[in-house]
Amino acid sequence: MISFEPTEDQRLIQETVGELAKTTLAPRAREFEAAREVADDVQQVIGEMGLALAAVPEAHGGQELGLLTAVLINEGLSRGDSATPFGLHGFGPYVWAAQELASSDQLTDLLTPLAAGKPGGAVAWSEVKARKDRAAFVTTASKSGDGYTLSGSKCFVGGVAAADRFIVFADVEGEATDAPWSGSGAFVVKRDAPGLKLGKRHETLGLACADFGRLELDGVDVNEADRLRGGDDFVAATLRFFARYSLTVAARQVGLCKSSFDITRDYCDIREAFGKPIGHFQAVAFTLADRHMDAESAGELCRRAAWAWDARKPFETCLAYTAQAVAHAHEAAMRCGDDAVQLHGGAGFMRDVIVEKMMRDAKQTALVGMTAEQMDQVAALVACRAKLTPELVLPTPDAQAILT
Amino acid sequence: MLEFELSAGQQQLREGIRSIGKSVIRPMSLGWDKNKEIPEDFLRNFYSMSKSLQGAENPMADYNEGPKEKSNKPRSTNRTAAVGAEELAWADASIMLSLPGPGLGGPPVRASGTPEQKERFFSIFRDMSDQLRWGAYGLTEPGAGSDVKAIRTTCRKDGDDYILNGRKCYITNGGRAAWVVIFATVDASQGRAGQRAFVVEQGTPGFFVGKIEDKLGLRANETAELVLEDCRVPAANLLGGEEKYQSKEGFMTAMKTFDNTRPLVAAMACGIGKAAYEYARDFVKDNYMLGRPIPRYAALAERLARISRRLEAARILVWKAVWMADHGKPNAKEASMAKALAGQAAISACIDAIEICGAHGTLSEDHALLEKWFRDIKVYDIFEGTGQIQRIVISKRLMTNLRGF
Ligand SMILES: Cc1cc2nc3c(=O)[nH]c(=O)nc-3n(C[C@H](O)[C@H](O)[C@H](O)COP(=O)(O)OP(=O)(O)OC[C@H]3O[C@@H](n4cnc5c(N)ncnc54)[C@H](O)[C@@H]3O)c2cc1C
Ligand SMILES: Cc1cc2nc3c(=O)[nH]c(=O)nc-3n(C[C@H](O)[C@H](O)[C@H](O)COP(=O)(O)OP(=O)(O)OC[C@H]3O[C@@H](n4cnc5c(N)ncnc54)[C@H](O)[C@@H]3O)c2cc1C
Repeated sequence: MISFEPTEDQRLIQETVGELAKTTLAPRAREFEAAREVADDVQQVIGEMGLALAAVPEAHGGQELGLLTAVLINEGLSRGDSATPFGLHGFGPYVWAAQELASSDQLTDLLTPLAAGKPGGAVAWSEVKARKDRAAFVTTASKSGDGYTLSGSKCFVGGVAAADRFIVFADVEGEATDAPWSGSGAFVVKRDAPGLKLGKRHETLGLACADFGRLELDGVDVNEADRLRGGDDFVAATLRFFARYSLTVAARQVGLCKSSFDITRDYCDIREAFGKPIGHFQAVAFTLADRHMDAESAGELCRRAAWAWDARKPFETCLAYTAQAVAHAHEAAMRCGDDAVQLHGGAGFMRDVIVEKMMRDAKQTALVGMTAEQMDQVAALVACRAKLTPELVLPTPDAQAILT
Repeated sequence: MLEFELSAGQQQLREGIRSIGKSVIRPMSLGWDKNKEIPEDFLRNFYSMSKSLQGAENPMADYNEGPKEKSNKPRSTNRTAAVGAEELAWADASIMLSLPGPGLGGPPVRASGTPEQKERFFSIFRDMSDQLRWGAYGLTEPGAGSDVKAIRTTCRKDGDDYILNGRKCYITNGGRAAWVVIFATVDASQGRAGQRAFVVEQGTPGFFVGKIEDKLGLRANETAELVLEDCRVPAANLLGGEEKYQSKEGFMTAMKTFDNTRPLVAAMACGIGKAAYEYARDFVKDNYMLGRPIPRYAALAERLARISRRLEAARILVWKAVWMADHGKPNAKEASMAKALAGQAAISACIDAIEICGAHGTLSEDHALLEKWFRDIKVYDIFEGTGQIQRIVISKRLMTNLRGF
C-alpha cells in the first residue's frame, strides 16, 4: 500500500527532534559555528536521547528503529541547523561502517563506548595522495606476524579530534589481483596506538562546527581480530555502508532544503519592494514554488529509499532508490541554498541572516559520502544491470593529490 | 505507516496493463498516430479486455463515478487510478485519453451534480457493450485558457431552459462525447460568481461540433471545437441546481475537478517519460561506444540516471497527491506540484532520451516511437493548467494574501 503517514512512534520522534531543533539548534547555530564545535550540553542531551544509534540493533546498544527513523531524525536535526549533525558524536560514517563491515562480536566492541555516551569513532577512507600504478589505497597494510602494520596519510576524516578509534581503509599486502581495488581491507585502530598521529584540522567552506582532519599512520600494528571483513563480499559491504550513510547525509540536505525554504518564504511574505511583498512578484513566487517541489520530492525520495532498506527489498532496489534520493537531495539543497541567498538580496550575503551559512553547508554536505555524480553512476549501472565494479561505485579515495 | 508499495491488486493492474500495452497497444501505436485515430473496434475490444482485467469492473469506473456508497474508510481509488493511468500512457498516450467513459467530464459531475444528475449522466457508461460513449469537459475558449474567469460563453434563463451561446476549443473527445460539461457565464462582469456549469448533451439543438484539430502530438486522440448557437439546455442540466450558484461555486466546481485530475495527468506524463527513459536505458545497455559499454561513460550514465530520478521525484509527488485525495485531505497544492514536476521531468526525459540514443534517436525507423513520445509529451505541461499556472496555484498557498498575477 502507498502511504505517507509516519507511525505513531516516528511521529513522536519527529516532534521531539523538531522541538529540539527549533528551540536549541536553530538559535545556537551561529554559536556552534563560531566555537567550531557543538556545545557539550547539546552533545549530552542528544546522546541521552540515543538518537545516533536509533537504527542500530538492540543487541548492540541501539534502538532498532530502522533506517527510516534515522532518516527522519537527521532531517529533523538539520532543520534546526544544517551543520550540527556533522558535529554530533555518533552521527558520522563510523556507526554505519561498523554495522556493515564488522562481525557481530566486533560490532559490540565498536559500539559499546558510543552507547555509553562516549564520542565514538571515525572513518579514514580518503587518501592524501593518489596512487599511480593501479587503483588501490596508498595506505598499506603489510603482514607482520599474526597481524598487520599500517602506514599512510589519510585526510578529510570527520570527527577525527574526539574519536576513540578509527576504521582505516588500506591496501593489504599480497591480496591484490588485477582487478581495481582488489586487496582492499578495513582495520580498527585505537587512538592510543603507537605510530598514530592526528594531523591538522582542515579549514572548510561550511559545516564549521564539525572537525575534519588528517590522520597519519606510521607503522601502526594491528591484530587479525582488528580486521573488518564485511562478511563474504567486502566491496558489497562497503557499498552498503556508503549507501546507507549517504542516505542519512541526504536527509540532512532535505532538512536544509526545508528550513531554507521556510525562512525564505517567510521573508518574501514580508519584504516589500515596488509597493508589495516581493513574493507577490511572479518570478519570485515561481522560484519559491520550484524550491518547495525540490524539498518535498527530495524528502519523500529519501523516505522511500530508507523504507526499502527496512523492508528488505532486493539490494539493487535499495541501491537504486538510495542513489536517486541522494543525488536529488544534493542538487535540491544546492538550489535551495542558492535561491535562499538570492531572494534575500543583499541581506542574504550578510552573516546576520542564516541563509548564507546554509548555502555553504549545502555545498560541503554534497561532498560527504557519495556525491550526486557517483550516485548517478551507481543508479545507471543498476538500471543497466551492469556489474557494480568497485572503481565505478565507490567514492575514489585517491584523488587528493592536491593536498600537500 | 510510511509505505511505498503497491497493493497486490494495483500490482496486478499494472502488470496486466503493461502486458497488454507491450503486446497489443505498442505495435499499433505508430499506425494510430499516423491515421489520427484509434479504430472503434479496437477500443471496444480493449474496453471488454480491461473489464475482464478487474473482474466485472472497469478500473476507471470507480474513479469516474465515485464510491457507490459512502464510507469513512479511506479508499485507494485515486492511487489505483494513478497507477493504471501511468502504465497505460506508457503504452500509448492517445489511448489513455480515448478510453470510453466520462473522462474529464466525470469529476465535475461527481463533485457537484445532484444525485439525480449523477444517476442520469453516469448510467450511460455502465453498460457500453452495445455502444461506446464518452464524456468531455468544455472550459477553454479561444479567448480564455489559463484565465478561466475570462470565459465569454453566455447563458440566459428562458422559461425552464437556459440559452447558451459561445465557442469552446481544444476539447478532448469533444466531437464524440455523449455529453459535455460546458462552463458559461450569466454576466461576465461578475467574474467567477457569474459562472455556471451545464451538462450539454449531444444532439441538443444549437450544439455543433466545429473543427477537429490537427496536432503536434496525441494525434490519435480527438480534440474538437464546440459551437453553441442559441443552444437550449434544460435547467435540469445545470450542475448542482440553481441554489448552488449563490456564491462562486460555479468556478470552484471547475477548480475542484483539477485537484483530482491533475495528479492523473501527471501520472500519465510519468508514464510517457518512463517509456522514453526505458528506451534510452535499453539502448545504453545494449550498445557499445569505442569498444566500451556505454554505462561506463560517466557523463552518459549521469544523464540517464538524472532522467530516471527526476521521474521518480515527480512520481513520488503524484503518489502523495493521490494518497491525500484518497484520505480526503485538501491537496490542491500537492496536485499542482505533481503536475508541474511531472510535466517538466517527462519532457526532459523525452528530449534527453533522443540525445542519448544519438542520431538514431531522430532518424531511424526503429526509433520512431521515441520521436512520437517527444511530440506527445509537450502538451502535458500545457493542458489541465500550464506549468506556469501550477506555480500560481502553489505560490498562492505559500504566500499570504497573494491574489494572482
Ligand atoms: C564534510 C566532509 C566530510 C567527510 N568525511 C569523511 C570521513 O569522515 N572520512 C573519509 O575518509 N572521508 C571523508 N570525506 C571525504 C569524502 O568521502 C569525499 O570528499 C567524497 O567521497 C568525494 O571524493 P573526493 O573529494 O575525492 O572527490 P573526487 O572523487 O575526486 O571527485 C571530484 C568530482 O568528480 C566527481 N566524480 C567522482 N567520481 C565520479 C564518477 N564515477 N562519475 C562522474 N563523476 C564523478 C565527483 O562527484 C566530484 O564532483 C568527507 C568530505 C567532506 C566534504
Ligand atoms: C491536446 C489538448 C487537449 C485539451 N483538452 C481540453 C479539454 O478537454 N477541455 C478544456 O477545457 N480544455 C482543454 N485544453 C485546453 C488547455 O487546457 C489550454 O490550452 C490551457 O489551459 C492553456 O490555455 P491557452 O491555450 O489559452 O493558453 P494561454 O492561457 O493563452 O497561455 C499562453 C501562455 O501564457 C502563460 N500564462 C498565462 N497566464 C499566465 C500568468 N498569469 N503568469 C504566467 N504565465 C501565464 C501560459 O502558461 C502559457 O505558457 C486542451 C488543450 C490541448 C492542447
